[in-house]
Amino acid sequence: MATFSVEELKVQYHSRNSTVKAVDGVSFSLDDKESIGVVGESACGKSTLGLAIIRSSSGGKIVSGDILLDGKSIVNMTEVEFTKTMRWKEISMVFQGAMSSLDPVFPIKQQFKEILKTYDYNDNHIKTIENTIDLVGLDSSVLDKFPHELSGGMKQRVVIAMALLLRPKLMIADEPTTALDMLTQAQVLDIFKKLKKNTSIMLISHDLGIISEIADKVAIMYAGQIVEFGTLQEVYSNPKHPYTQALLRSVPKIKGKSEITSLKGNPPNLVSPPAGCRFYDRCPQAMEKCKKMPPMIKIKTGYTSCWLYE
Amino acid sequence: MKEVLSVKNLGKYFVKGEFSRQKETIRAVDDVSFSVKKGQTLVLAGESGSGKTTIARLILRAIEPDSGEIVFDGIKIDNSTTILKKMRTECQMIYQDPYASIDPRMKILDAVREPLDIHNIGRPNERKELVFSALSDVKLDPQEIALKYPHMLSGGQRQRVAIARSIATKPKLVIADEPVSMLDVSVRLGILELIKELQDKHDISFLYITHDLATAKYVGHEIAILYLGKIVEAGPIDEVLLQPRHPYTQALLDSISEPSPDNLHKEKRIRINEPLKIDTYKGCRFRARCPYAIEKCKQEPTLEEVDNHRYVACFVEIN
Repeated sequence: MATFSVEELKVQYHSRNSTVKAVDGVSFSLDDKESIGVVGESACGKSTLGLAIIRSSSGGKIVSGDILLDGKSIVNMTEVEFTKTMRWKEISMVFQGAMSSLDPVFPIKQQFKEILKTYDYNDNHIKTIENTIDLVGLDSSVLDKFPHELSGGMKQRVVIAMALLLRPKLMIADEPTTALDMLTQAQVLDIFKKLKKNTSIMLISHDLGIISEIADKVAIMYAGQIVEFGTLQEVYSNPKHPYTQALLRSVPKIKGKSEITSLKGNPPNLVSPPAGCRFYDRCPQAMEKCKKMPPMIKIKTGYTSCWLYE
Repeated sequence: MKEVLSVKNLGKYFVKGEFSRQKETIRAVDDVSFSVKKGQTLVLAGESGSGKTTIARLILRAIEPDSGEIVFDGIKIDNSTTILKKMRTECQMIYQDPYASIDPRMKILDAVREPLDIHNIGRPNERKELVFSALSDVKLDPQEIALKYPHMLSGGQRQRVAIARSIATKPKLVIADEPVSMLDVSVRLGILELIKELQDKHDISFLYITHDLATAKYVGHEIAILYLGKIVEAGPIDEVLLQPRHPYTQALLDSISEPSPDNLHKEKRIRINEPLKIDTYKGCRFRARCPYAIEKCKQEPTLEEVDNHRYVACFVEIN
């Protein structure tokens, strides 16, 4: 049974003269304790998708579609109800660049307590905080420190601990390793690997390598839509959509003389996206039919939206 | 093979807490030697704080070195105007962030033309031609782009403009400091291909600074791995990355996640320890985190040739 699903979600940013269709009809579902990786280029709508799920997208409005957690729709909840029952308790998020958002004038412990107070947490505060900080592999001595006393990797772990504080069912992590050094990045990934046994993680990243460490299922996003969705195994070893294929081919590797090819061109403007397939201009296999929007076509473990597999 | 740039025993120390009682000297670059061969790419790789950007700034004399010498195209670089002028025409830089490195109020034509004006290259009425040829070299359509402003371009296009500006003066050496790390995955490869192509076409040498070993392998011929201001391993890039000899290089390679479905159920093992609290400047600098450390590591290892063109600063045989 799917415990978390997104159905035909559309999120738009409205400005005076135009509407940006940042997320345009996105659907996927996850089983209990399954993790998903959302991959795409910048401005493909992957962050907006994450922010929309936790209802923190500033300016972005959910126009249609549904988000269901354990069968309960969270789109139609009132703001008060969402904060009271969902935000941080069931769904939390490690925002992009979150480690620089720690308050410089309070010790870490204070900032944890603030979360517990905001969400009316009744159990022993100190014990919960210490247990959580242990989950991310940090010593409880960091709790008395100020953010400037911590390294980048430690700060990132603190922010991840904050997202875990109320033991949510789903944690969204938006580019959680981007600003970190290689070795630290690997350590943080290791923590995610351990955490995903108990919590579903939605990892948003542009890095196909990082995704492959965490995600049971993968969604490839392009220009506001998911063009391919399936298990990691299937998407990586047997990519269907030409965009997925191109993306996987464009990554330089250390081992072996793999042939890599770059992807030409730019993604379309999301104010007035083309009526047909959005990858049309860059697709090496484009055909006449592609001028019409491809439907979601069922493949082995998920779906792809490409006419080639009709 | 002829060397375009050679750096010998370069050192740069920064003093932290200049006004406080407890002064601390950071040895950002410490006794670093390397050379860049003509028409080749040398990769300087390391994490943040390893001194890679400081080395770039020292070469361009944005800051003064405390020790050592830099020889560019057979000439020792000092502070005389003629030498600096030669250096700054023939050695150019590409920065990490194309959103910050191009003046937002200059049209692309003017931005690329600026170095030509400054160095007085070509007659003024020829310069537009030179700009157009530099723009075509980086695969941009000059007619279309010359009169645009940077904000009208995508990240990849901007980085191409930055590259066009760096090659406009026909340099012998280009220092590229993380030129693709801010760009999208799909755009990255295009820029790397461009760098290789320009190298073949104009015989430009590159000093490529990065923390990303996979892209480094794609463009580089040789590599030097930096750790806390010292080169710990150097040599031909394929050999170093496929058979690392230094524990630090090995740890860096362990930390890379390449897209593969097998990663999911594999434990990520990085051969590195939690750092010990010891003075990093006493003995081998990697000793505090090294899983292979032995008693001898309390002495400082020197970078020695262990094989054909392979240099390692380590007492332990890790393979």
